[in-house]
Amino acid sequence: MIVALARKTLIHEWRRFFPAVLAVAFSGLLLLVQTALVLGIFGSAAVFVDKSRGDLWIGYPGTRSVELGRAIPLDSEIWLRLDPAVARVESFLWVDGDWRSRSGQGAVSVSVSGIEPGADGLMFARALPAEMRERLRQPDSVIVDHADLDKLGVSVGGRARINGRQVQVVGAAQQLRALGGVNILASLDTARRLRYLGDGVADDMRMTYYVVKLHDPGAAPAVAARLNREVARHGFEAWTSSEFSQRAVSFWMFETGAGLGVLFMSLVVCVVGVVITSQTLMAAVAGSIDEYATLHALGVGLRELRRVVLEQAAWVGAGGLLIGVLGSAGALVLAFQHDVPVALGVIPGLICAGLVMTISLLSGMAAVRVLRHADAANLLR
Amino acid sequence: MNISSIPPAQVADRAASAVAIRGTALEKSYRSGKVSTTVLRGLSLEIGLGELTLVSGPSGCGKSTLLSLLGGLLQPDAGRVHALGVDLWALAARDLERFRLEHTGFVFQGFNLFGALSALEQVMLPLGYLGLDSGTARLRAEEALSEVGLSDRIALRPSALSGGEKQRVAIARALAKQPQLLFADEPTSALDAASGQRVIEILHRIARRHNCAVLCVSHDPRLIGQSDRVLQMEDGCILADRRQFEQKELTA
Ligand SMILES: Nc1ncnc2c1ncn2[C@@H]1O[C@H](COP(=O)(O)OP(=O)(O)O)[C@@H](O)[C@H]1O
Ligand SMILES: [Mg+2]
Repeated sequence: MIVALARKTLIHEWRRFFPAVLAVAFSGLLLLVQTALVLGIFGSAAVFVDKSRGDLWIGYPGTRSVELGRAIPLDSEIWLRLDPAVARVESFLWVDGDWRSRSGQGAVSVSVSGIEPGADGLMFARALPAEMRERLRQPDSVIVDHADLDKLGVSVGGRARINGRQVQVVGAAQQLRALGGVNILASLDTARRLRYLGDGVADDMRMTYYVVKLHDPGAAPAVAARLNREVARHGFEAWTSSEFSQRAVSFWMFETGAGLGVLFMSLVVCVVGVVITSQTLMAAVAGSIDEYATLHALGVGLRELRRVVLEQAAWVGAGGLLIGVLGSAGALVLAFQHDVPVALGVIPGLICAGLVMTISLLSGMAAVRVLRHADAANLLR
Repeated sequence: MNISSIPPAQVADRAASAVAIRGTALEKSYRSGKVSTTVLRGLSLEIGLGELTLVSGPSGCGKSTLLSLLGGLLQPDAGRVHALGVDLWALAARDLERFRLEHTGFVFQGFNLFGALSALEQVMLPLGYLGLDSGTARLRAEEALSEVGLSDRIALRPSALSGGEKQRVAIARALAKQPQLLFADEPTSALDAASGQRVIEILHRIARRHNCAVLCVSHDPRLIGQSDRVLQMEDGCILADRRQFEQKELTA
């Protein structure tokens, strides 16, 4: 086109189009931030898996999320070590507890992760510096998440009680927060001592999970499948790490109904976005309807006029998306600085961007309908 | 039929110029709710090339309706419109659009210029849809703007132009397409006397210089003196059909 009517009108009458750009921008912001929050929060359901190294997770058959684990037979470890594909097996003990920082104060429900304290341990290898991990060798020492210190009422070096037994906080790490509750790290020995088994019950040596490192990480799906052929005999099930992580996230997303809530909220955002954006675009088209009608009288086809309106909608979408992305980036940085769990991948981000462009194009299609009134006979009175 | 191949009529005798538009037994009524108002009942007329024809008459007598029918903007209830030999209302909607694009120009009472575009861009805009390249369109647009006396205003937006200048841009926009048919509905009604005079002079000159049929519709009696032919209309009928030079001969 030799005269860029859509773009020139958009720039010249930016005040008229600005509400539409803002509506698109806000829709984009809401979608992106909501997605990042959801992925951040529900992603933390899998923090145990995602912050650890290891290729396979071994747990109670049918376990749907990490915190729902149950003790598995003691001989599981032997079966695993006998497998030629396995390079290392590490134990993981899950203990639920009550945390009291001072006597007389209310208890905080916590979960204690009993892990190997060695510097090269697999569990939480991505979250714990080796030196901090070594401190867990000291009996009855624990590591908490930096962001939980206030809630737990302690500072690093302070003491508290878990299930009535005194522990000392020897470190505060980042990004240990899990969805189920406060996550506390201890050595396997400490964790075992923190268990409340009931009076007169013999000590239980069983573990909740084993984390397995393979000689060939690429073989993980095949090894898991092989181990799972004998679930009933072994009394455990094997998952690849990514599979187990996914399981935890989708359990929280969909079994709790939160996932549907998110989808519903996204739908609401899109509908509101389309309503506001289309109203503004329709008003803009209506404001130029005499000019469009004149072009139509001069022989410019309705199809060409529609293209002008759709092009405007596309520019509005692109502008809104840009503002929305910038706003979201700011919001996410802020959230990150305040330990609010946020995470956004490329694919979810692209889906959000696609939804934003869909919002503006749907609005453009609504505005196109106003062109029906671009009838030159209306100019003649 | 190839519409573009119609040769421009060579008009020697203005008293009997070649017919550009023929309306036959035109009927039109408007329905609003259950009430139906008949505006035209069986009106027939011919408009010639190379002259400015004025349809004059009181407000509400059906002038604009007649122009819409002849210009291919509004379908008659009955009757036919032949423009440049083409039966307009036998064309499909897209062919009619194409016919208007290639052969007709319109000027309206409201100037209907895009606020975002300079005078030059306003005039170039329809040319793009005609398929002209940017360079040719620019030349034609500059030529048309110069013909309406706006060579020094081509970079200005409508907000910087006076009413008369805006209407001249609108005329240039219609003219740059080089139409054989030019329709103007109350082109001077929103203008002061001097600007209106200038606009009607330009329309008159276009009719002669480009040998096109200019049909102007107005209730403004001041335009009568500037027209080659005046159709006096009242209540949906043409009461009188006068040629100016015939009048002068009679009075001489
Ligand atoms: N779209 C319409 N709907 C109903 N009535 C109309 C419409 N357009 C024009 N009319 C009526 O038709 C009559 C002729 O209108 P018009 O052709 O615009 O007259 P003029 O241009 O001579 O003033 C008027 O009475 C007007 O009220
Ligand atoms: Mg009128």
